[in-house]
Amino acid sequence: MLAFLGTIGVAAALIGAILLVVRASVVARGKGGADLAGPVKLVVAGSMTSMAAMQIALALDDFSIAYLANNHATATPFPFDVATAWAALEGSILLWGLVLAGFTWMVFTAYRRAPDRLGAAALAVMGIVAIFFFGLMTTVANPFEVCVAAAERGCLDSSPFPWATADAPIDGRGPNPLLQNHIFMAIHPPLLYLGYVGLTVPFAYAIGALAISVPGAEWLRRSQRGTLIAWSFLTLGIVIGAWWAYEVLSWGGYWAWDPVENASFMPWLVATAFLHSALVQQRRGMLQAWNFVLVISAFALTILGTFITRSGTIASVHSFTQSAIGPTLLGFLVLVLVGSFTLFAQRGHLLASAPRVENMVSREGTFLANNLLLTVFAFVVLIGTMFPIILEAVTGTRVGVRGPFFNRLSVPLSFLLLLLVGIGPVTPWGGATPQLVWKRIRGPLVAGLIAGLLTAVTVTRNGWVVITVVLGVFVIASTGALLVGQAGRRRSKTGEGLAAAIARVTKGDARFWSGQLSHVGVVLVALGISFAANLSQHQEVVMREGDQVVFAGHTITYRAPFQQRHPGKTSSGIRLEVVRPNGSRVTLEPTHNFFPGHPNGVATPAVDTRASGDLYVMLLTLDENRVAIVELDTSPMMWVLWLGGLTVAAGGFLSYRNRRQERAPARAEAVGV
Amino acid sequence: MDRRRMTLLGVGGLAALVIAITAFSIGDNLTYYLYPTEAIERKAEFEDGARFRLAGLIVNGSLEGSAGSLEFTVTDGGADIPVFHTGAVPPLFQECVPVLIEGAWDGERFVSDSAVIRHEENYEVPEEGGTLPSC
Repeated sequence: MLAFLGTIGVAAALIGAILLVVRASVVARGKGGADLAGPVKLVVAGSMTSMAAMQIALALDDFSIAYLANNHATATPFPFDVATAWAALEGSILLWGLVLAGFTWMVFTAYRRAPDRLGAAALAVMGIVAIFFFGLMTTVANPFEVCVAAAERGCLDSSPFPWATADAPIDGRGPNPLLQNHIFMAIHPPLLYLGYVGLTVPFAYAIGALAISVPGAEWLRRSQRGTLIAWSFLTLGIVIGAWWAYEVLSWGGYWAWDPVENASFMPWLVATAFLHSALVQQRRGMLQAWNFVLVISAFALTILGTFITRSGTIASVHSFTQSAIGPTLLGFLVLVLVGSFTLFAQRGHLLASAPRVENMVSREGTFLANNLLLTVFAFVVLIGTMFPIILEAVTGTRVGVRGPFFNRLSVPLSFLLLLLVGIGPVTPWGGATPQLVWKRIRGPLVAGLIAGLLTAVTVTRNGWVVITVVLGVFVIASTGALLVGQAGRRRSKTGEGLAAAIARVTKGDARFWSGQLSHVGVVLVALGISFAANLSQHQEVVMREGDQVVFAGHTITYRAPFQQRHPGKTSSGIRLEVVRPNGSRVTLEPTHNFFPGHPNGVATPAVDTRASGDLYVMLLTLDENRVAIVELDTSPMMWVLWLGGLTVAAGGFLSYRNRRQERAPARAEAVGV
Repeated sequence: MDRRRMTLLGVGGLAALVIAITAFSIGDNLTYYLYPTEAIERKAEFEDGARFRLAGLIVNGSLEGSAGSLEFTVTDGGADIPVFHTGAVPPLFQECVPVLIEGAWDGERFVSDSAVIRHEENYEVPEEGGTLPSC
């Protein structure tokens, strides 16, 4: 019944997408108006119906659907039962479809307000992408297949036909244990998907503009908004993902250059580059071709990321061929790249021969350097991620790329980027003398050096931390000086208070200042990473009941092991009594969680978070004699990293909101009507 | 024209530099990932104590020792390698479980200090391996 409903939803969305492509391309070619509302509504309604069917099935524990038999269990508690809808391959494509339908609706509402050929062409491209993903759901990644041969838990064989006679198991296997351990894991994928799928919108406008041969400035303006919203969600998704890894995953870190993480980071880097280079085109008419390249690459990287994370290619290239999803995604990626760049080459002559950057000492010059660094960064991550996959495919040798490869290259790139973050915003458009720029950055640079010196004298001699502090304080001082300077000039004219003047200034150029807020966030992230990487202490200890260890000023006593039964899992762990450096006490309970139906347990660390830093305790091994091996870590000021990440995202959302408000009067520039 | 050529040269040079640094760095940071059959075939390459990751199944009845110092045998069905493991092991590290351990050859045995359980829950027999012993 629910398999029927879900399948009908997917089919309706697929038909809607096909109709949308057909009709929108008629409008885009200027061959008259056609109704686009119907197909878009069909896509939206279809995808919502299918997700609703999935959620109802999860609520009713309907194990006749193979996806539920393999990924859900009666005992899975809220909210993880809801999140199970996207916890595995087929469900994640279902969520992808729903989010894509949402963004298609967004593009459509913009079109409805001011119908033009560009808007229609973008809708056609959204439709093509939608055909692919809803097509996946009807073929190689069908979330509504009916289980026709039940195992004790899970499903052995399934049928794509919803009328097939079901053989439902009594209970399912439950979601992957890692995914039912923390609330973050329920919200992290939707956020990431809002970012990932959101990058389809700028891609749609770019390809649409090329297709109707109007590669002017309008596609860029609309792409910018789409990119901003996607980028903000992507940032949030990455930060929450890192936080989840830190709180839940047993390797005790927030970032491991894991292919799955890299897959989200690469489009982020390229989208960041685009957000900056788009400004250059807007202000100076430069980088027109480059902006197309960035937008197409960002979208292609999201498909590559989906391929990397969803085809089983990471585990081994050999598992690639076990499911048809890998080759299908790879085929789509090739299609996107070849199709987009062919179109781009054909329309190349239409791009205005843009003025070159005449003077590198200018805002556009710093943006150029920023783009170079960000794309090199993305390239390095791409090589590190793809190298093992390509090597195994070609030679059969399996290798892994260790973290130091990424660190060796990303650290200098990040330092250079930070330096630019301090210089760029105070450098005028069009060019300036080096003397002027030097005059503006001299003060902040001195502030940074003093802060670095103080850090070296009072806190740590670690060179990496000192450099990060110097650059971080430089950026904040440079931005702060700019703000205070502008507010001061305003005050001398109007006579209002400093706070009021600052509020006026930031409101006056809200886009610029929300960007600066993101920059402050980037500084905080850099500081947080630097502290965690260079100042954390680490120790592995073997403890028996009653043992006491002293670690980084904490006195830690092993009281007793414990066992607990929860709905859907059993936990075993140890109770540690901790006396903090300031004398206060806290009890920490690092545990192992076990889930029925899954052979692997999950270690959940216990974290004592305070302003000065975190004490992070992980239970590595607990044997029958109650002997525990415990990993102890301190990370100073970890909250700076999370706060920084959230600030970066907040800057993006603020900028998006301001852009919406600005848009209303400037709406008249319809393209190709 | 000259300016354009200089820009091209500059960008090209930079690209070459980045590629060179990347290639150089990646070579230093590779960890090989071998099944027991391959590890024995390619033993000569790793004789100098070079570290690699060994993937296999813990042979039933082979696990001995206590937390912090374990001995066991891993197999891919084609070859068996005795392992001496120091350091921690993850929860449910036990016989018949597919594991991935990192370390180096020490004579005929493999000495490892880092162990994870392989996350795929359906352990796939490697093509090189043959059949897995029953557990």
